Amino acid sequence: MMRRVGSGFVVSVALAAVLLGTAAPRADETCMSPYMPKITGQEDYVYVWTLGVEGEGDGSDKLVTIGANPADAAHYGKVLSSVSVGGRHEAHHAGFADDRRYLWAGGLDDSMIWVFDLATDPAHPKVVRTIDSFVKDSGGVVGPHTFFALPGRMLITGLSNDKDHGGRTALVEYNNDGKFIQTLWLPDGAEYGYDARVQPRLNRMLTSSFTGWNNYMKELGKVIADPEAMKHFGSTMVVWDFHARKPIQTLEVPGAPLEIRWALQPRHNYGFTTTALTSRIWLVEQQDDGTFRASAVADIADPKRVPLPVDVSLSADDRYLFVDTFMDGSCRVYDVSDPHHPRLVHTKKIGAQVNMVSETWDGKRVYFTSSLLANWDKTGKDNEQFLKAYGWDGRQLTPLFAVDFAKEGLGRPHIMHFGQERFYKNQIYAGDAARLTAVR
Amino acid sequence: MRTSRLLAAAGLVLAAVSAGAGDDPRLRAVDPAELGYTYGVGAFAPEYAAPAPGSYALPTIDTVTDHPLLGADGRSTTLFALTRGRLAVVAFVYTTCIEAAGCPLSLGVLHRLDRALARDRQLARRVTLVTISFDPARDTPARMAVMRSFHAPESDWRFATTRSEAELQPLLADFDQPVAKLRFADGTWSGLFRHVLKVFLLDGEHRVRNVYSVGLLDATLVLTDLRTLLLETAAAGTNG
Repeated sequence: MMRRVGSGFVVSVALAAVLLGTAAPRADETCMSPYMPKITGQEDYVYVWTLGVEGEGDGSDKLVTIGANPADAAHYGKVLSSVSVGGRHEAHHAGFADDRRYLWAGGLDDSMIWVFDLATDPAHPKVVRTIDSFVKDSGGVVGPHTFFALPGRMLITGLSNDKDHGGRTALVEYNNDGKFIQTLWLPDGAEYGYDARVQPRLNRMLTSSFTGWNNYMKELGKVIADPEAMKHFGSTMVVWDFHARKPIQTLEVPGAPLEIRWALQPRHNYGFTTTALTSRIWLVEQQDDGTFRASAVADIADPKRVPLPVDVSLSADDRYLFVDTFMDGSCRVYDVSDPHHPRLVHTKKIGAQVNMVSETWDGKRVYFTSSLLANWDKTGKDNEQFLKAYGWDGRQLTPLFAVDFAKEGLGRPHIMHFGQERFYKNQIYAGDAARLTAVR
Repeated sequence: MRTSRLLAAAGLVLAAVSAGAGDDPRLRAVDPAELGYTYGVGAFAPEYAAPAPGSYALPTIDTVTDHPLLGADGRSTTLFALTRGRLAVVAFVYTTCIEAAGCPLSLGVLHRLDRALARDRQLARRVTLVTISFDPARDTPARMAVMRSFHAPESDWRFATTRSEAELQPLLADFDQPVAKLRFADGTWSGLFRHVLKVFLLDGEHRVRNVYSVGLLDATLVLTDLRTLLLETAAAGTNG
């Protein structure tokens, strides 16, 4: 009888939690694919996909694992491991597969892809698969950027193509075993690519647009000084029927819209992006007729000074939007409770340059890395390369720890993802008394 | 609301079936919200109309091979013997699952599919639903038969298990269906599994044409995909 009551109770509460949407958020990143499991509780690791720098360490691109659990003081904020992939490939973005046990990571220069096994030894990832045929498989797509987990497969956005190395590009799908499935070219008039994010409730996918290999592999100063090069940036977002994988609407969003973040709360049928060249926050919102509308809702810093907004992170309650601006190395936090009228509530100088930002689901920690692209990063003393962790109390960012990637001989840190010992060891919380500790 | 009722119904069925299953008293201390949270973002109620059948393509994701199974009647069978070259919706579950966004959702959606197929005899003749347990130690044929009786299928909905872990693992690997035992700190098994909910759409040649997880699993969408594959088959026949 005891067992019967126990099972029934747990089922009932679990059902209520899901049906009523009351499952309390615990941790993890807010920008993950919704088609994969989240970790609960404090993250133990931050995995940092890092560009190699000639003369620093082995000079190769590598996946660096940083200890991130303050309960493990000996490893908190410390480099636990790094696994090199050999050579420099313009390491950029990475993403978990649908079971979170594997991390796919790409190189924008030669379109190499590596799959890391995180689950077997979470503090020491290992390369288990290399895909060197992305361009051939996809029919000429170059520059694998976003890795977005779908059930049984990986959706990868391209940035360029092998015909002219310009911005015309596509979305590419592989299955979890690394077998090519299909290529979906961006539509005419909106042919540039960058990010892709899906809102399952609405069966809508948004894609954004950056620039091709010719520009992202060139020094930033030369790109900006070249009027012809500056013509070759994306200025559109595409709304897709996700299930059909068909583009259904093109939105004009001038100035290279980059990262896309769908709102996370029920009935919030909108998302945000920022434009790198025009320095604005854009709201992409579903209208009553089901179509979408893009509108600039705020300037970021002084657009005339080209602060270059790069990554953004939206809090789980859809209240705060963290916006990194590369040029001034700052994070600006906007209250977007009213998505049509973002309100700047905090500005924090993170370093001489800053790129990626990841907030945890519980809203308590925010992580930053510094590198944008090998040829776009600052030079000299401003070429700071770091991972920095901050606490967020709803009012201000407070430093927690920092890892100097240059000093450690690691290179240029780019995207971050979180890992947890308990998740990978398939352990379960069973009340405070039995709460598990990480076993390393 | 419709999804809620289905989930609730499926949950009640599971609660009944799982009664007496060897769950650990320590499970009482597990915060169900944490289990629900793992897949919380993906749990969804569709707020869209599915695209028209045949208006899109379903590329091949993978191809599966045949595997031995044990039917709910206790007889030996195989996956292909159950699907018989028809379109198939294959779901992996375990009957003591307590993650609402896991097996209860899967069973709820297959229940809806079953009833929808019963109302569309032409489609029903071409489709088999298959629910397979990944817990062979506890989900015996008799238990699967109980599960079947709760759902009282009105279409060709088969329930099966395997004889052993040795039989099960190649099947799960072939489908890329990750399953792992969740353990307490002392290493003992909690009785629960960590599993990414996946439901697979197979065509008549055993090719995986879609994979549905929490954020994608909706009966209307699966029916649309089934009709899309039938239209594809009809078009191929016309062209051939």
